Amino acid sequence: MTTLATHPTPTFSDSPDPRRRKSPMSVRVPMHVSRLSWYLLCVVLAVSMIFPLVWMLSIAPKSDGDINQLPPDVIPHKFIWSNFVDGPEQINFLHLLGNTVTITVLSTIGAVLSSMLVGYGLARVDFAGRKVWFYLFTCSIFLPAVVGIIPLVRFYIAVHLYDSWWPLILPAFLGNPIFIFLARQYYQTIPYSIDEAATIDGAGHWRIFTRIMFPLTKPLWITMAVLSFQGAWNDYLSPLIYLTTDNKYPLSLGMAEFSGAFAGVAVTPYNFYMATNFWYMLPLLVLFFLAQRYFMSGLGSLGGGTK
Amino acid sequence: MADSALLTRPAARSVAAPGRRRHLTRNNPVGYLFIAPAILGFALFVVYPLIMSAYYSLTQWNGITTPKFVGFANYKYMLTQDPVFWKSVGLTVIFAVISVPLSLIFGLALAVLLNRKFRGVKIFRTIFFLPVVLPSIAVLTMWKYLFDPQFGLANQALSWLHLPTSQWLSSAHSALPTIILIGLWGVGGSMIIFLAGLQNVPDELYEAAKLDGANGPRSFLHITMPMITPILLLQLILQINAAFQTFNQVAILTQGGPDNSTDLLMYKIYSDGFSSVNTPLMGYATAEVWFLFILVMIVTAFTFRTSSMWVYNANDARN
Repeated sequence: MTTLATHPTPTFSDSPDPRRRKSPMSVRVPMHVSRLSWYLLCVVLAVSMIFPLVWMLSIAPKSDGDINQLPPDVIPHKFIWSNFVDGPEQINFLHLLGNTVTITVLSTIGAVLSSMLVGYGLARVDFAGRKVWFYLFTCSIFLPAVVGIIPLVRFYIAVHLYDSWWPLILPAFLGNPIFIFLARQYYQTIPYSIDEAATIDGAGHWRIFTRIMFPLTKPLWITMAVLSFQGAWNDYLSPLIYLTTDNKYPLSLGMAEFSGAFAGVAVTPYNFYMATNFWYMLPLLVLFFLAQRYFMSGLGSLGGGTK
Repeated sequence: MADSALLTRPAARSVAAPGRRRHLTRNNPVGYLFIAPAILGFALFVVYPLIMSAYYSLTQWNGITTPKFVGFANYKYMLTQDPVFWKSVGLTVIFAVISVPLSLIFGLALAVLLNRKFRGVKIFRTIFFLPVVLPSIAVLTMWKYLFDPQFGLANQALSWLHLPTSQWLSSAHSALPTIILIGLWGVGGSMIIFLAGLQNVPDELYEAAKLDGANGPRSFLHITMPMITPILLLQLILQINAAFQTFNQVAILTQGGPDNSTDLLMYKIYSDGFSSVNTPLMGYATAEVWFLFILVMIVTAFTFRTSSMWVYNANDARN
């Protein structure tokens, strides 16, 4: 602390400490001014962050003529709400949505189940080699995913699972290293006396896992579910590599093809595209606003606590 | 080595102290049953690809017929003849060297800005984090339209302000900077991790510093920064790792062009190995994968090795 004890210099006045307000400092910004400038800065940043999205939404209901108008208007002349129906029809949206939902739900279930099991094993069962496995799983977080792609394509071709949803779903059921790490950390914060009491009452590990740990770790598995749902919904590279048949495509591939078809075309239906994009984003937006806490705390727990 | 960086949370460490573990009864079969999924996953997604890709990189292989062993021919072609390879490596390094520090600096700045207890601060956190949640394909196609040289909003706004417009993604000079710029929209991801780190810094430290007369910038430099270095290290490593494997941005926004100016290594690997236009060169692409893999490992190891110089370690300080 001694390094900090230096000559008093003017302070930033965001501290609510009343003693400081009286101190005879010359270059002091009054509290309400600093707070006001804080709000101003935040509002400016927030508006510039959100503006691209608002802009996108404003294109969706525009007429074909309006989207190519120069300079563009933020508010459409005429709202053509049917774009939100006609747009998705361009890419057989409902079918692709079904594909995405199936893949996402299955891989979310897989990721949560497997990581909960493995995390429990690493944190609360004593077995030979436990530390070594933990290190191996943790280190594999840092293995670039790209190493796997080509051998795995070959592998899935050999077992006749290429161009199916298996390569997209199977990995989730075999444990996600980051989730395993998070799960182990979380399990370790639960007092071991609980297990001891349960063991004395005659419960085995499976019973402790399903009856005691599952309810106790609700924030953990909701966080993992939310993050893996998001990951699977957004994934583009894996389906691009493993799927070749159009009608197995998830929305990410369908949307990329939809916009890719615009290259070199004179009249591009950006209104249709943005209307479809809105539907593609909507489920994640809803999930985000319902489970915001878990999204943020999930990522935060990488850097802070698992609180 | 990963463990020292990740296990930064004192709570977990104290509960996990070896002394507490003796209460658990040793049970090998049950333990291995619980971790069986991850062992299978480790075998299938780590060990198998590592071994097989080392072999495939020594073969000539179009993905359909049986691979033909060619020794180090792929590596030789890659390092000495491929006209785009070194350019691609250079671009990848430039991309990582610029985009990772930018994202860390802006992420930390936003986190400091939003680490207040003012009314409405949660709304701002939500807004800044929102871009991270949205599907990257949806976001990238949106940006592609915004940066359209003719109809895009970016140039409209610039000309309205009487500023020079840009070709953005359509020019070899501005395409990579534009991709980096677009990436900064997702800075909320690192913001939220830093924010958690900032909130874990004990208030007593700031109070003690205040009593000692330290002001805002000083306590930031001498308390906040050292306390969040473990998180900074973790973020640095994960982001470098991700930056070296940047794919979606290139695939959606530029497809490596114009004039290979955005042909990052990951995209080059994809276009060499899975191209539908030319014969897929899967053996050659695997050699490139190994180059990228070794590059990432060297950078990661280097970051870890030098980290003891700048990462604060609570245990060292206590001794």
